[in-house]
Amino acid sequence: MGSSKKHRGEKEAAGTTAAAGTGGATEQPPRHREHKKHKHRSGGSGGSGGERRKRSRERGGERGSGRRGAEAEARSSTHGRERSQAEPSERRVKREKRDDGYEAAASSKTSSGDASSLSIEETNKLRAKLGLKPLEVNAIKKEAGTKEEPVTADVINPMALRQREELREKLAAAKEKRLLNQKLGKIKTLGEDDPWLDDTAAWIERSRQLQKEKDLAEKRAKLLEEMDQEFGVSTLVEEEFGQRRQDLYSARDLQGLTVEHAIDSFREGETMILTLKDKGVLQEEEDVLVNVNLVDKERAEKNVELRKKKPDYLPYAEDESVDDLAQQKPRSILSKYDEELEGERPHSFRLEQGGTADGLRERELEEIRAKLRLQAQSLSTVGPRLASEYLTPEEMTKRRVKKIRKKEKEVVVRADDLLPLGDQTQDGDFGSRLRGRGRRRVSEVEEEKEPVPQPLPSDDTRVENMDISDEEEGGAPPPGSPQVLEEDEAELELQKQLEKGRRLRQLQQLQQLRDSGEKVVEIVKKLESRQRGWEEDEDPERKGAIVFNATSEFCRTLGEIPTYGLAGNREEQEELMDFERDEERSANGGSESDGEENIGWSTVNLDEEKQQQDFSASSTTILDEEPIVNRGLAAALLLCQNKGLLETTVQKVARVKAPNKSLPSAVYCIEDKMAIDDKYSRREEYRGFTQDFKEKDGYKPDVKIEYVDETGRKLTPKEAFRQLSHRFHGKGSGKMKTERRMKKLDEEALLKKMSSSDTPLGTVALLQEKQKAQKTPYIVLSGSGKSMNANTITK
Amino acid sequence: MIEVVCNDRLGKKVRVKCKYPLAAERQCTDDTIGDLKKLIAAQTGTRWNKIVLKKWYTIFKDHVSLGDYEIHDGMNLELYYQ
Repeated sequence: MGSSKKHRGEKEAAGTTAAAGTGGATEQPPRHREHKKHKHRSGGSGGSGGERRKRSRERGGERGSGRRGAEAEARSSTHGRERSQAEPSERRVKREKRDDGYEAAASSKTSSGDASSLSIEETNKLRAKLGLKPLEVNAIKKEAGTKEEPVTADVINPMALRQREELREKLAAAKEKRLLNQKLGKIKTLGEDDPWLDDTAAWIERSRQLQKEKDLAEKRAKLLEEMDQEFGVSTLVEEEFGQRRQDLYSARDLQGLTVEHAIDSFREGETMILTLKDKGVLQEEEDVLVNVNLVDKERAEKNVELRKKKPDYLPYAEDESVDDLAQQKPRSILSKYDEELEGERPHSFRLEQGGTADGLRERELEEIRAKLRLQAQSLSTVGPRLASEYLTPEEMTKRRVKKIRKKEKEVVVRADDLLPLGDQTQDGDFGSRLRGRGRRRVSEVEEEKEPVPQPLPSDDTRVENMDISDEEEGGAPPPGSPQVLEEDEAELELQKQLEKGRRLRQLQQLQQLRDSGEKVVEIVKKLESRQRGWEEDEDPERKGAIVFNATSEFCRTLGEIPTYGLAGNREEQEELMDFERDEERSANGGSESDGEENIGWSTVNLDEEKQQQDFSASSTTILDEEPIVNRGLAAALLLCQNKGLLETTVQKVARVKAPNKSLPSAVYCIEDKMAIDDKYSRREEYRGFTQDFKEKDGYKPDVKIEYVDETGRKLTPKEAFRQLSHRFHGKGSGKMKTERRMKKLDEEALLKKMSSSDTPLGTVALLQEKQKAQKTPYIVLSGSGKSMNANTITK
Repeated sequence: MIEVVCNDRLGKKVRVKCKYPLAAERQCTDDTIGDLKKLIAAQTGTRWNKIVLKKWYTIFKDHVSLGDYEIHDGMNLELYYQ
């Protein structure tokens, strides 16, 4: 409470009577009130409550007395001191202190002894010298005594202090409430209705009052105006009011302002609030109106567009080259950065007179643009269109108009025309399969005679065209050989070889046949036969012709055939034999063979033997072949050998020991080490004994193949095979399998260890042991031995 | 007004009266440590800027008032020299 504070303040500043005097009168009532409150409080506290009440009353009185005069105070201070000593809880410590302190200060100047101290006046002088404010002499709140003169301090009563605090708070709250009520008192609450609302009479009254007031007000206004007019102030007043009206902001003031939105964004019938756009304080540009929502929307749209990630640069964009007004728009480089560099240029329009905007001009512009666009010609041609599969009606009519033209015959060019033909009168049949291989047209021999071989249609005309002069050549085929190797490559080779052979024979024959005429005939015949032989492989009726077949050739390469021709089915050979025989007879064999060999035909040795077979005159009745004794010593020897008359074993002849020269080593052999290294050859060679043991003829071993495992156990066939398999594959069994095997082995071992006469646990043995120990022939099975005693069976 | 005792522990003991505003009276401003040092200097005969007032390790700064340091009546301050 302000009053209490003031009160306290006053108290502290007490000393001046004037202050005390002024405060005294006013202080009384509140103090009394306070005092009363205090009484209440102190009633609640226990202990020395009653005493305090008494004292408070006294104090109140004392206070009152104290306030009246400072001197009285001073006088009473001594009393007070005494009393304070007696009633320590009543006095306010500060007051007491103040009272006493003043005196103490006044009395003691240098009473501290060792501590030098100045008096207040001296201090003040010093302070003045230093430039500090002087101490307030009144505000002496020195302690009631220095160390040398200790004075008991007043006991601070915390209860009293608290009570005082609470009082203060209450007072403050009450004051605030009062103020509030004053404020709120003006507002009518619901409960307090105006009387005129319910009561008509009251209402009438009120309305009359209002009317009266109005009239009064009007009258006053008139009076004032008259007064104004008198004083000539009316014009001024009017001006003022008029100005005010003029100053009012209206729509016409909006003329010329720019609105920074496109005019299209304003729809008809819609109201949009435009505000001034933010701009810097120092910017002197003109004002711009914007709508906040529109601004946000535009920004959002722009962001959406940016987020779409459209390509910045359309290299083939043709549309943008022409402006709206059909003018060439200059193509700028990196136009996407224009906004960044130059700044945004948003759509805007100006408000016209009266603050309105039509958008007429924009619409007109648009129309002009549209017109110009229509006029413009586009350079792009019509794009390619899918051709229709069906004729359109126009095309239908068109077709009939077309002329009918003659068609040109196509010339068919055939391969026959291209190839040069020797014989124009040909069938055109070049080796087709239908007619057979190598068939020829029958032509007369006479015709063939004259020209040296005529080209006949055979499989290969070129070969036919070759002259006989080719025979002088070696084995090489004529130039152009790769062409020769066509269908019957191998056969042609063969034919050639045969041809050569035949020719040689012919020559020989010719030599023999002296008659030229015969020669010619022979030649002709040979030619014929040759030709025929060429096409027809087998003609066994011809004489002097060598006929080959694959079989005979193969057999030739085989080598000697001991039984060749014995069966008598070898007609050719016989023929040949006859021929050959004649030759050999004449030439005494051998020389021809060389010549023959050159060609590749060699006589088989068997022929000799066969001949000998026929001519062995002095032979025995043995059908076996025998060498002719009369032929020579060798033949005789052979005969003997065959008969077994000769001992073929080499007899050891005592040889003269060689002198001290190099001893021939008996155990010397030239090892061909290369042969050993060959793995495969080694595999095939057999190093074992090739001969039987003669000593062990009657030996018949009892073969028993036993397999043993690592522990020494004999393996069953199954186990043995498993072992083999492991070794073969290089890996054994897995974990499970080996464990199982081990287990099985252990079980087997256990089985073996088991005694036959006893249980596996050895029960019988244990039994016998127990019997021995107990010295009884029996064993008690249940419980321990003691429990079955008669003594123990109780209960 | 309070009286503060400043002890040198070397024989100089001084009692200095200085202004101190009590809780109630806000009007008067209390002295600062600097003023107190000047008063001490006047009484002891040293230079005031050579004085260091301490309380254990707390050095009292010149620009702070007595009230802020809560130096009450009869407090002992340690007097040192720098």
